[in-house]
Amino acid sequence: MNINRVSGIIDNLNCHGELNDLIAHRPLAMLPFDCKYRLLDFQLSNVINANIQALFLLMNQDDMQSVFDHINGGKEWGLDSLRNKFIMHFNKKNQEGEPEQGFISHVVDYLRKSSSEITVIMGSKMLCNIDLKPIIKIHKQNNRSMTVVYKRVTSENISCDNLLINLESDGNISLRNSCKEELEPTEKYNLCMDIFIVRTEWIIEVLENYDKKVESIIKILREKINNVSCMNYEYTGYLSNIYDIPSYYRANKDMLKPSKFNSLLYSNQKIYTKLANEVPTYYAQNSVVNNSHFASGSIVDGTVVDSLIARRCKISESAVIEQSIIMASANIKKNAYIKNAILDKNVIVDEGVRIIGADTNPIIIKKDSHVTTDIVNRRNL
Amino acid sequence: MKVLYLHKVFMEGGKVIYSPNIMMKTEMLAMILAGGQGTRLGALTKHIAKPAVPFGGRYRIIDFTLSNCTNSGIKEVGVVTQYQPLALNSHLGNGSSWGFDGIDSGLTILQPFSSSDGEKWFQGTAHAIYQNIAYIDQVNPEYILVLSGDHIYKMNYEEMLDFHKEKNASLTVAVIEVPIDEASRFGIMNTDENSRIIEFEEKPEEPKNNLASMGIYIFDWQRLRAVLINSYSKDGQMIDFGKHVIPSYLESGENVYAFRFDGYWKDVGTIDSLWEANMEFIDIENDLDMRDHNWRIYSKNTISPPHFFTETAVIKNSLIVDGCYIAGEIKDSILSTDVRVKEGSKIEKSVIMPGATIGKNVFIKNAIIGENAVVGDNATVYSEEEIFVVGNSEVIGVVSNEY
Repeated sequence: MNINRVSGIIDNLNCHGELNDLIAHRPLAMLPFDCKYRLLDFQLSNVINANIQALFLLMNQDDMQSVFDHINGGKEWGLDSLRNKFIMHFNKKNQEGEPEQGFISHVVDYLRKSSSEITVIMGSKMLCNIDLKPIIKIHKQNNRSMTVVYKRVTSENISCDNLLINLESDGNISLRNSCKEELEPTEKYNLCMDIFIVRTEWIIEVLENYDKKVESIIKILREKINNVSCMNYEYTGYLSNIYDIPSYYRANKDMLKPSKFNSLLYSNQKIYTKLANEVPTYYAQNSVVNNSHFASGSIVDGTVVDSLIARRCKISESAVIEQSIIMASANIKKNAYIKNAILDKNVIVDEGVRIIGADTNPIIIKKDSHVTTDIVNRRNL
Repeated sequence: MKVLYLHKVFMEGGKVIYSPNIMMKTEMLAMILAGGQGTRLGALTKHIAKPAVPFGGRYRIIDFTLSNCTNSGIKEVGVVTQYQPLALNSHLGNGSSWGFDGIDSGLTILQPFSSSDGEKWFQGTAHAIYQNIAYIDQVNPEYILVLSGDHIYKMNYEEMLDFHKEKNASLTVAVIEVPIDEASRFGIMNTDENSRIIEFEEKPEEPKNNLASMGIYIFDWQRLRAVLINSYSKDGQMIDFGKHVIPSYLESGENVYAFRFDGYWKDVGTIDSLWEANMEFIDIENDLDMRDHNWRIYSKNTISPPHFFTETAVIKNSLIVDGCYIAGEIKDSILSTDVRVKEGSKIEKSVIMPGATIGKNVFIKNAIIGENAVVGDNATVYSEEEIFVVGNSEVIGVVSNEY
């Protein structure tokens, strides 16, 4: 065993959320975020920035193509370097759509070979830029079985399948229900971020003796919080819990607030993503841009306000985009008007077409669609 | 060393016959001469070599030449460096940004070194090749492509090699038509009707035509090797390609051909031409056709978040890249990676290089602001006579209490 070696597991087996059309063709971890990132970039960067040298990425089999397309050999994240070990495991689903149980033995096998002292396990739904190094250090210095990372959040950052924890005066942790109806809107709760630090030997033993049916590694660790002695660690940086369309929309628009943008993307840890080698974005003579984010490779001739525009988009003359998220390679033609909408990749919007959604619940335009007629949420007019 | 052993398979009447191992060498090696000081770029090349000077927002000048190599299928590249190579070396790395890190390709940085024959400083373009004969022999190419790392253009060197082979040339020089009144600034090639070069004039006072050398040459390596070794074993006059090697090839009756190039090509060796080329680069209709995905220009990844415009930002006819924060007014300009422009500032017809910070209420016009430069609040950077240059990491207009 190498005492300085830490292994990581990114568990995406039970990451769904109510994102409907946005995750029809991709796993949640591959959702685009802030013009040029994918949610998984944050987890991969968190792992790399903590000098974790062995990484096990657990995905569902259906996700294979989009994951490979993005990560490839893992070069952009340094996962391909000599001392790093990087394994992707694509787990099968049975006929009922539940994960087959084979993944546990693969994880155990990986952990044995990793010869690491400590293992970090995390999911991809919690968008954050967290420095894991101090947490790993604290965990090493105490004798608890597990360190649980949490953040104090208000109810809009909590969904029904999250876990909330209470910190008892004796230092123990107790669990509580996260159902929305029972939460006070103004109150803050301790949201378990599904980031766990454990000793590798301990987790191997837990997994080997686990004989129930389970959907993910994270579920197993959540169950353990009540039964074993845990340390807790409060994360104070930016966090967004992405579980449905309003929360996804809100997280993106958070990036238009400089304090949140800085806290997520200008902390002392960089976030790495796939390299695109795009040209600079061109703003024409008539363009008007206000309070917006842009990636490279676009041509902007129209008006963009309070929005996020991804790579290779074309926004033609007199087109107006407000309060929207436009994913890569969109083509917005003349005089189109888009407000409160999320346009997935490769969408074409014809001349003069209006797409208007509700303030907190934007309209979703599916990947590769060609919008030829108005789509307007009447309630909003 | 890149040597491939190929098993040639012949199908004859259904019978498979294996031929013995055939040794295939690298066909063409590119040697990029990137050691020039670029004195005419003044403050911009005080601490970095000219090919490493930023260009067009997210590139450095040498990216164009390197990407041309990648797109032309060249797999082996030597980059000759000499003057202030640190920034250039870190930009190049192992060449992975341009795909030179594969199993049958490579990028090698060639710096002067000392040896038992004495120090190997490079005195000129041809001398730099002579000093690196050991490296070239190791790659063992049939042809050698000599390039300079300070031009902005897209060119298919493979077409030039095909031309070279078709003409049975011993040397092919890429040429471009320049306006006749500017021809006296260039090396001018006088050719016959078959594009064979019969006369070469370096910066002629009265040019006979307007075919200027682009400083791009394809040589048969063994021939050039013999010429260089022969010369240096005697009086050693082969210092420069333009001044010495081409005239000597012509005198000895070698087959020297001119390969015409008619795309966009810009020498960015002076402040004026660097500024001008950047201004031309803004136009998306530019002949460089930067948005053509079949001939991308690659560069090193700088890892920056998307760029951000605040409520107060105004932007007209400009290029912006990742990592910028813009609260001011930008017109007809290029903002490079991680540039910050604070509220109330106006930037017109200028190039702001990576990492520069522009304070509040600044006015910048017709200027180049160097890498990581800081322009303090209320400063004016403009001169009616010339392009105003703020050097790399230079701090101007900052009163000490602003820190």
